[in-house]
Amino acid sequence: MKKHMKTSRWMTGLVAVGCAAGMGAAPRAAAEVSQADFDSLKDLVLKLSDQVQSLRQTNQLEQQLHEQDVQQIQQLQAKLAETSRTATDAQQKAVAASQTAPMPRVPIDEATVNHNFQILGDAEVQYAKTSGQNGSFVMADFAPIFLYRGGDNVLFESGFDFILQNNPQNSNPATPGATTTVNLSFAQLDYVINDYLTLCAGNLLLPLGTYSERSAGWLNKFPDSPLARGFVPGNGVGAELRGAAPLGESGALLNYAVYGVNGPSSSDNTGQAGSLDLGGNVGLRSDNVVANLHGNPTGGGRVAVFVPFKPHYDLELGLSAQSGEWDNAGQHLWTAGVADATLHLGPNLEAKGEYIVSRYGSDDLGNVTQQGWWAQVGYKLAGLNLEFPGINNLELVGRYDSVRDGMGGSTQRTSFGGVYYISNALLFEGAYEFLHSTDPTQADQIILQLSYGF
Amino acid sequence: MQTTMVAALGALLLGVIALTPGCADQAAATGTSATASTRHQLTGAELYSIHCNRCHPERYPTERTAAQWKTITLHMQVRANIPGNQARMILKYLQDNSGR
Repeated sequence: MKKHMKTSRWMTGLVAVGCAAGMGAAPRAAAEVSQADFDSLKDLVLKLSDQVQSLRQTNQLEQQLHEQDVQQIQQLQAKLAETSRTATDAQQKAVAASQTAPMPRVPIDEATVNHNFQILGDAEVQYAKTSGQNGSFVMADFAPIFLYRGGDNVLFESGFDFILQNNPQNSNPATPGATTTVNLSFAQLDYVINDYLTLCAGNLLLPLGTYSERSAGWLNKFPDSPLARGFVPGNGVGAELRGAAPLGESGALLNYAVYGVNGPSSSDNTGQAGSLDLGGNVGLRSDNVVANLHGNPTGGGRVAVFVPFKPHYDLELGLSAQSGEWDNAGQHLWTAGVADATLHLGPNLEAKGEYIVSRYGSDDLGNVTQQGWWAQVGYKLAGLNLEFPGINNLELVGRYDSVRDGMGGSTQRTSFGGVYYISNALLFEGAYEFLHSTDPTQADQIILQLSYGF
Repeated sequence: MQTTMVAALGALLLGVIALTPGCADQAAATGTSATASTRHQLTGAELYSIHCNRCHPERYPTERTAAQWKTITLHMQVRANIPGNQARMILKYLQDNSGR
């Protein structure tokens, strides 16, 4: 036990001596850092100091930007609040105005208006040069059509022709060089009974063939009418039932019309062949009373089939007739028949024509038979897909007429021409007509016409 | 005399047509009409091309207002012998595309 205590004393002494030695050796180790290491550390400390300074400056700049952003946000919030107040004020003012002012009238849809009036029609100006004569502007025509619709089933329509036309050169020198005439082409009241039938009454365009209803200047591709149309009246005063009904499921239609009109009359109250007046059985009687010149109206009608194969491809075939007494004495019958055909083969090719025959009795010549026919073909050059300027607006047309008047006269006419479509409603038409006639006053001529459909 | 008989027969025929709207309307309502059962129902645009181009260059629907087209279509329904149902389809096409 005594030995163990002695050993501990020795251990304690060694530790104390070691500590003392260590404490004495430490200053010697610090004194051993080289000057280079010290300078390196000094540089490092200086660099760190610079970086701290740079970061401090950066922080100050960011602090300034942040303060600016805060200010902008505050300004925007102020503006938003102001805008909101303005909108609220406007809404309050609108509500106040709506409570004090009457409600604005809601416009009525125009399509629901039950009555409507409007004007359609056409206008033409014509220049002609007949062989052996001076050329001139021979006609100006204004042909308005007035339409008044009352509801879904009633329509009143009337067409006028205001024509300024040169008088013949061999007329009486006392007569003016030109005359303005006003004709009532038609004026009829239409009542649509149902989908298939309409009652018409008034001055009617007669469905003797199709020409009289398709003769407006911008519809007819020639500036003048077929010669044979002179054998039948274009209009008459009376009443008519007309319409169309589907034939099967192909889209084909059966067209029909039946009518009674005053009909032709005598221009001089006689039954002479030359006094037949197709203009109508309305006029001044010999007793100075305006009334029918005779009491027997004529009757007529048309039946036709229209077959559309597809849009722009169709065929129409029709037969029509009219008959009645024409002279005042009621001794002579006037009868006319027309066969008509129209064919479309695409949007560029059209062919149509009519055969017309009329027969009437007379005091001096007995039965007079007039007959004639015309055929017309038109082809729009747009069908050729040519790229020449303006050529796609041009349609070439040709027509042949032949008439025999039943009193020894006959005329054959061959016409060539063209239609230039300035627009779909403004047409420039031209034709050169070669005539062979028993009438020596007839001659070849060239006709130019500007037509507008409105 | 013959003229009178022909006119009377024609008037009789059209009188029968005039008195049959009920039958036609009933057939249309039940979907048994010829038009309704057509394999390819013609559209208003097709009917417009079929009928209007027969006599004149087609007019643009925008040339007229809806009310004007209603009057013009009624005018042409009578003038060009267009059945009423087809005229209504043409009118709808024109009004849908009309000028305002």
